[in-house]
Amino acid sequence: MIVEIALLCGLVLFSVAAIIFRDLLKAAICLAVASLLLGIIFFRMKAPYIGAFEISVVAGLITVLFITTIALTKTGGDVRESKAASWIFPLVFVVFLVLDFFVMRGLIGKIPALEATPEQGTFGEVLWKIRTFDLVGQIGVIFAGVLAVLALFRKRDKDE
Amino acid sequence: MVFLFIALPLVVAGILPLVGKISKKVLPDLLVNSVFVILLALVFFEGRGLVAQDAAIKQLFWFGEPLNIRLMLDGFSLFMLFAVSLVGFAISLFSIDYMDHYGSKANFYALFLVMIAGMNGLLLVTDLFQIYIFLEVAAVASYALVAFGLGQDELEASFKYLMLSAVASAFLLAGIVIIFGVTGGLDFETVSQGLRALDARYLVGLCAAFFILGFGLKAALVPFHAWLPDAHPSAPAPISAALSGLLIKVSGVYALTRVFLNVFGLTPALSTVLMYLGVISMVVAALLALGQTDIKRMLAYSSISQVGYIVLGIGLGTPLGILGGLFHLFNHALAKSLLFLNSGSIQMSTGTRNLDEMGGLGKRMPVTAGTTLIGSLAIAGVPPLNGFWSKLIIIVALVQAKQWAFALIAVLVSVLTLWYYLVIQRKAFFGQLNERWSAVREAPFWMTVSTVLLALLCIATGIFFAGTVNSWIRPAADALVKGVQTTLGSLGF
Amino acid sequence: MNNTWLLYIAFAAVLVFVGLYCLLSMRNLIKLFIGIEVISKGISLAFVATGFAKKNILVAQALAVTFIVIEVSVVATALAIIINTYRHTRSLDIRKLAKLKG
Repeated sequence: MIVEIALLCGLVLFSVAAIIFRDLLKAAICLAVASLLLGIIFFRMKAPYIGAFEISVVAGLITVLFITTIALTKTGGDVRESKAASWIFPLVFVVFLVLDFFVMRGLIGKIPALEATPEQGTFGEVLWKIRTFDLVGQIGVIFAGVLAVLALFRKRDKDE
Repeated sequence: MVFLFIALPLVVAGILPLVGKISKKVLPDLLVNSVFVILLALVFFEGRGLVAQDAAIKQLFWFGEPLNIRLMLDGFSLFMLFAVSLVGFAISLFSIDYMDHYGSKANFYALFLVMIAGMNGLLLVTDLFQIYIFLEVAAVASYALVAFGLGQDELEASFKYLMLSAVASAFLLAGIVIIFGVTGGLDFETVSQGLRALDARYLVGLCAAFFILGFGLKAALVPFHAWLPDAHPSAPAPISAALSGLLIKVSGVYALTRVFLNVFGLTPALSTVLMYLGVISMVVAALLALGQTDIKRMLAYSSISQVGYIVLGIGLGTPLGILGGLFHLFNHALAKSLLFLNSGSIQMSTGTRNLDEMGGLGKRMPVTAGTTLIGSLAIAGVPPLNGFWSKLIIIVALVQAKQWAFALIAVLVSVLTLWYYLVIQRKAFFGQLNERWSAVREAPFWMTVSTVLLALLCIATGIFFAGTVNSWIRPAADALVKGVQTTLGSLGF
Repeated sequence: MNNTWLLYIAFAAVLVFVGLYCLLSMRNLIKLFIGIEVISKGISLAFVATGFAKKNILVAQALAVTFIVIEVSVVATALAIIINTYRHTRSLDIRKLAKLKG
């Protein structure tokens, strides 16, 4: 359990770092490290597929996309964040942590829940046979994403 | 066959970019319009039969093997599918001429069809997580469509829309996770049985709050409306029409109604919250609309205000209230799409959206002026047009439920609505012809066809309103009322 | 529900909070989007943890995979919008954008 808690704390720490760092490149790398930690947490929850997916896609692909964007927008990258935002953050964060802790401790043992239907088979079977419709949705989203990028980066050939 | 509602637009969207390489304009136009004709035919010939047989949930088969794709087609979803196909058809007709000057038309159509597929999917799903998936399909396509002009305003509006939408999705997912954790299922049926079996008042309250926040953002109810007045005017006119006429209703109002009436059950507390949200949206957005000089911005605020009416009617929860709300949803979809399309015609002919710069356009663009007048009067609720009947039903339902204050506000806002639509008429079409517009011509052929079609539909729905209500809206309302009756009272928080 | 679930949900809530704070206070477009990413990390943690606690880990993984696919699409679209905005304004500052507030 201690390892889990340490990993979760690391995840939160790196996420906070990703937000606090002024330098966008450092922020993106912190985000990737946070994803990596999340992937390890998933592995420890006996969810190897999503762990691998998180590490390869979120820590890999999305970070690459972020870094490409940062590189393409380099010269305008220095945006002065407001001083107040970084001042207030630790205060609000600690208040939220305390609140979160007490709410969750108050909820211990108080949440009623039904037993889920036990599941059989492998991950592939569940994905393909139980959540089949989700795959149709995934196809739709991928279409939407690809077409969106095509539309946004199209050459502005105004065919008059 | 029901699966075609999702599959057909997706498949055509997939091949459109390739078709666009061969033929830049004609083939894509033809393909997209025929998709909508097929969808309309499906609604009429396939869907109505299925609903009449009460075959609410369909399981799909693939070469004899049962697939785990379950689609729910009841009166409510069929009615919404009808609205989507009808308005979608008008929009695709309009786009034939309008989208010519934007370039890469095939890509535009493909995105539009993906958005339609997402909406149709959302209307047919039986599972909370799938609601989120199809919501997101439609949303991702709409971000790109809002930014399609690639101007600075468009990009900004799209970015803002994307940010707020992402927040909305996060809240929805938070609610879905809690429900998954508590009931162990995501199916509408499992969840609603599970919630009834459990005594989890606070948890259900928390989830309801998350869902109201999420769907409220999607439907642009007033405290959460900030993105809409930027996003809807910035998009190309056909897309403004699709967003205002369809998307906010499908991904906001439909999903909200489905989840709260058929899954959670409409409790008195929830009903009160929805009604207050509706009334606040109605009043605030109508007041904000008065001060606008940009015609599309004014129309966008008017959308928020009219969605307020719909939510007020549905939130009331009586059979008559739900009926009125759904009827108003349909009427608003027709009339608001018409108005946004006309604003596109004006913008295309004159190059401006500023009401103060227009004037006297009625003489130059008689068809546009006439159809705009019909659309305006329909939304404002002037008899015998369709909007009058739906507002009347909502107000009668409010009076029956002894909500005098809400009924009075609904009447007053209706007057306010008429006022700002008359402002549009006076500034844009009546009065002295501005010298600058002496060379302005009427909109091209397909654009006028599409707007005239919608205007005729507005009139027909108004005159034959009993027929429309009985054949389309009554089954939809019944499907919802059934949900209210089975769940009401069993679960209170 | 067991207590491990609450522990994970507590951490997921912290992540969502951090992301929301970023959205409210930051001014750099890319930074705002990093906030969205942090929120979605919290959500996927909550999904998998829920499956773990309910012994429904396979379904939870299937859901999380779909979630990540959607996330990638949204990220790609958003970054394309950001790059296009940058081409217009030569800046990533939200205050330079005329209409954008919040």
